[in-house]
Amino acid sequence: MKITYPHMGPLNIALKTMFSGIGVDIIEPPPITNRTLSLGVKYSPEFACLPLKINLGNFIETLEKGADTIIMLGGVGPCRFGYYGEVQREILKDLGFDFKMIIVEPPHGRLADFFKELSEEFPGIGWQPALKSLIFAIQKIFAADKLEKQLLNYRAHENETGLVTKIYDEYTKLLDESQNKKELDEVLHEGILKMKHNANRINDIQIKVAVVGEIYLLLEAFSNMNICKALNELGVEVTKTEYLSDYLKNSAFKLPQKLEFKKNAKGYLERDIGGHGLNTVANTVKYAKKGYDGIIQVFPFTCTPEIVAQGIIAKIGRDMNIPVMSLSYDENTGQAGYQTRLEAFVDLLARKKMKKI
Amino acid sequence: MSKKVGIPKALLYYNFYPAWKVFFNELGAEVITSGNTCKKIIDDGVKSCVDEACLPVKVFVGHVIDLKEKGVDYIFIPRIVSIEPKKYLCAKFLGLPDMVKCLVPDLPEIIDTKIDLYKNDKSLMREIVRTGKKFVSDKAKIYMGYYKALEMQNKFEGIMKMGFSPNEAIKSLEGEDVKVINNGNLKIALLAHSYDIMDDYICMGIVDRLREMGAFVYTIEMIEKNKIEMGVRKLPKDSFWTYGHDILGAGQYFLDNKNVDGVITVSAFGCGPDSLIEDLLERYYKRDGKIPFMSLTIDEHTGEAGILTRLEAFMDLLRWKKGEIVI
Ligand code: SF4
Repeated sequence: MKITYPHMGPLNIALKTMFSGIGVDIIEPPPITNRTLSLGVKYSPEFACLPLKINLGNFIETLEKGADTIIMLGGVGPCRFGYYGEVQREILKDLGFDFKMIIVEPPHGRLADFFKELSEEFPGIGWQPALKSLIFAIQKIFAADKLEKQLLNYRAHENETGLVTKIYDEYTKLLDESQNKKELDEVLHEGILKMKHNANRINDIQIKVAVVGEIYLLLEAFSNMNICKALNELGVEVTKTEYLSDYLKNSAFKLPQKLEFKKNAKGYLERDIGGHGLNTVANTVKYAKKGYDGIIQVFPFTCTPEIVAQGIIAKIGRDMNIPVMSLSYDENTGQAGYQTRLEAFVDLLARKKMKKI
Repeated sequence: MSKKVGIPKALLYYNFYPAWKVFFNELGAEVITSGNTCKKIIDDGVKSCVDEACLPVKVFVGHVIDLKEKGVDYIFIPRIVSIEPKKYLCAKFLGLPDMVKCLVPDLPEIIDTKIDLYKNDKSLMREIVRTGKKFVSDKAKIYMGYYKALEMQNKFEGIMKMGFSPNEAIKSLEGEDVKVINNGNLKIALLAHSYDIMDDYICMGIVDRLREMGAFVYTIEMIEKNKIEMGVRKLPKDSFWTYGHDILGAGQYFLDNKNVDGVITVSAFGCGPDSLIEDLLERYYKRDGKIPFMSLTIDEHTGEAGILTRLEAFMDLLRWKKGEIVI
């Protein structure tokens, strides 16, 4: 059996660690490229959202490489992510691939259930080594996320263009390769220090932007045309509001973050509407209150919960006097147009900030 | 003087209007609906909405603005999360009152009764009472209104099962003498959300057009629940959207029983749930290869001519398959 799965931020690093820890063969999805996207686009329903298309491209590329078992998450709605797997399986079948698709349906969206179901699919694997690899995999996700959070700050002030990204890439690779917790911690620590030493915050005006929106778009730089990098290169410090680690924390331990979201969104959106719509609204309020200079919402074209949020955060922007920009992405999104819009937005923020100072 | 409650003639109006009306009337309120969709309503909606909102939502917002201009005391925009266990409506319904409030300034008071039967109906009575209290203090009266509304809903659904479209059923409940000719010799299942096909302006009276062309038209509302469930049982995974479930189930049922000549789906451009549901259905039909399947997408720029041509071509195809015409 050769297992594969779709890309989603540091998920690849984690799943690789977990499966190899228990001796299961995997076929890592190749990095997402334009080929991945165009394969996905070619065979997906026209109006499906971007993540579905990229996922499908991932699957085609790994099936071509010999994978025979796909692992995908299911769901219970109302966001259509919960139905992706069903549609993708039928598309791949029609394309003539021979494979098994395991759609893990989290009955209550809990991580524990996810692994319980997985363990049923792989009998004969002791739960102790499994648990050990699982814990290490999760630690890697947390480390990868921490490293990225720092990157999004320091890169805005790097001493030499491209330098911090280079360090980051190098250390992400080291994280990926690390064999135990101790090594992992060391790598993380060193990586952060190195980025810090190659950045200088003093001379810049330090514009802060929070990027809110749909989780896949936030996690997969390819899908958002690397918006955080583009902003950093314009000298903007970026806070991304969704990380895989947050998602795990919330689904595994049901942390009270939902309550915090509800509190922040109060008066604008009174309940969870599926996807990350509530998070988007809540985070907009939160970072506006924190004195950020601007909010950018990113989401897949036609993503329903985010469209609801879009109208609402525009109002929040007016009420709280903070510039808000919404960007939706699909396969036709052109780099040039986006760059211009980002530049204009950052320009506006800079002018606004100068006036304040 | 009695209070005026405005109900927008859009979205779930087509599924629940008669019941809502009875409820508010029982509470002593007067019910006013917005006018029929027209260019102004659409333009107002489009202007107020974010670009990417789907057409039905833009139309809804246009109707809300129409009611605001009519000077009603309240506008009824329920937050319909779920109308049956373990199923949701599209995410837009979950945030509809919030979204409308942010999009349209200076609205009269919104009645945002929450309906959420996903887990159970425990909160429902509380919500009904909360709503009723805006008009009367007597709880018994509110309960009475609720039961009369339920009765009305049953009656409404019963009429549609006889082959009447939601619009026709609403008219007949309002005392109009509705005669429909739904007896063409080609049977067509028209699988879509009611608000996509019942609004005569945005969908060019598609039901009547098909009937005029000689079709017996089944819409979701005319199909018995048990048939839909039979269809659904065949699927690997049921849809967690109520209307997606109905479309898939009915589609699968007709596919299994071969008791229609053709299937047409209609959806709004960019509709999230439909983009997946219809793709699946189309795959099942293509694999089977026996019943022609056509899907139509509508948005604010859809032209009448384009739709008509496609309907005609589809009817010709069905006739030709039946051997009625030779090309
Ligand atoms: S079901 Fe589709 S058409 Fe209806 S509100 Fe949702 S996205 Fe729009």
